Amino acid sequence: MEPRKERVVITVMGANKPGILAGIATSIAEAGASVEDVSQKILQDYFALMMIVDITSANCSFEDFQNRVTTVAERLSSKAFIQHEDVFKFQHRL
Amino acid sequence: MLYSLEEIIETVSAVGVSTFDIRTITCGINILSCADSDVKKCAQKVYDKVSRVAADLVPTANKLAKKYGVPIVNKRVSVTPVALLASSFDTPTALPIAEALDKAAKELGIDYVAGFSALVQKGISRGDQILMNSIADALCSTERVCSSVNIGSSQAGINMDAVYRMAEIIKEAAERTKDTGGSACTKLVVFCNAVEDNPFIAGSFLGTGETEAVLNIGISGPGVVRAALESAGPELDMGSLSELIKKISFKITRTGELIGREASKMMKLPFGIIDLSLAPTPAQGDSISDILELMGLERTGCHGTTAALAMLNDAVKKGGIMAATYAGGLSGAFIPLTEDTGMCRAAEEGALNIQKLEAMTCVCSVGLDMVTIPGDTSVDIIAGIIADEAAIGMVNHKTTACRLIPVPGKKPGDYIDFGGLLGGGPIIEVGRHSPGVFVKRGGRIPAPIHSFKN
Repeated sequence: MEPRKERVVITVMGANKPGILAGIATSIAEAGASVEDVSQKILQDYFALMMIVDITSANCSFEDFQNRVTTVAERLSSKAFIQHEDVFKFQHRL
Repeated sequence: MLYSLEEIIETVSAVGVSTFDIRTITCGINILSCADSDVKKCAQKVYDKVSRVAADLVPTANKLAKKYGVPIVNKRVSVTPVALLASSFDTPTALPIAEALDKAAKELGIDYVAGFSALVQKGISRGDQILMNSIADALCSTERVCSSVNIGSSQAGINMDAVYRMAEIIKEAAERTKDTGGSACTKLVVFCNAVEDNPFIAGSFLGTGETEAVLNIGISGPGVVRAALESAGPELDMGSLSELIKKISFKITRTGELIGREASKMMKLPFGIIDLSLAPTPAQGDSISDILELMGLERTGCHGTTAALAMLNDAVKKGGIMAATYAGGLSGAFIPLTEDTGMCRAAEEGALNIQKLEAMTCVCSVGLDMVTIPGDTSVDIIAGIIADEAAIGMVNHKTTACRLIPVPGKKPGDYIDFGGLLGGGPIIEVGRHSPGVFVKRGGRIPAPIHSFKN
């Protein structure tokens, strides 16, 4: 049986500026995690990015991964929320 | 996407914007194995057991809060009613047990530890007497210990000797902490029909029908319900309004279920129950009163408030029950006064008085909670208030309680602030005619007839 995937949902919000998606994606790649889905929107001057990322094969712990991505987001003047997928599954799927 | 943008935004903003949190993860610990006739030896055993069983509670809660992005506000411990241990003490005080619990809680970073309790609905045993005589000492000399006493039940009636004794203890505890507005009373609950698995403080204890150790979860979420009602507007009819509240209640309870299951795995302790509650905090917007006013009341306390609260309470339970494997505890909307800024505003403006509060407790959880009353309120009147509240619980087969704070030196209209989650609020007026003869008759109000319901 295929082992259960460990996925996280990343939400990044902030003022729009070049390089946010690239910066976040790079930190995910460096952690050895893989992006499964991305959606990005610009609303007036605000930037909203949502990603579903598989961290099953990541080279770091969940906490480390959270810290790395939030640090990159802060450097880009944005705020990132990294939550385990289960909280979305429990709230929105029966 | 696997989840729609709306779903993701809803989950993220519940915490960020609408102050959603898990109010408490409470580790219930059976301490009957610590029995000893020497209270000091018993206290050492209690300290050892609580320190061992709850050692991982705070790190586990912090880890889960980070993983799921949902704050877990309080980490608490409840123990078997200490009166059961006190029955074998050869000295007439249980204070060392409270001190041991307080020490263990401080060292583990636990916010409150509860279960300095006695169940005296039918009679007061020697152990109960020792415990009750130690309550004021325990509350005044410890920081995190909470106490509760069950003085009535639908099966046994109301023990009026215990009611009067508790009124005396409330008054004493308030006087002895007059420098902090009678703050000892914020840690003392008088119950009718107390439950064995309540995770909420101050009335938590682990009943004797429970297992060796267990994790119970109390959820929160008035802010999330408020946000949904705000966006829904005033056009919804009652059925649709109830549906909306049920859906939100389902989602917030599901989050509690997830946290409970994961914490249970990590700590290798059974997951007991989720308490399906809406628990307000003094934070702006995290108010039950705000929800009632959004339902269409000009001010909480106006005519219609009891009906609105009944609907809210019922919808919360209906939505939550399907989300939880096991529901329990007090389960309902809490209406504390000082912990809810909307309730305080309603009281300050004269819309909400103690009579209306009492009526509201007939249809929700859990009673006259954190109600600040004048410091000169007599023991007789406090006993009368407790007896009334207990009668509501006894006749209606529900849990009711009093957490009354007669604030020394304060009069109606004055204000008191306890700080933190306890909040602050106006002193509200109580009746001034004396029930003295009635409450001092003693004995027990017989259990009510459970048929011919009218």
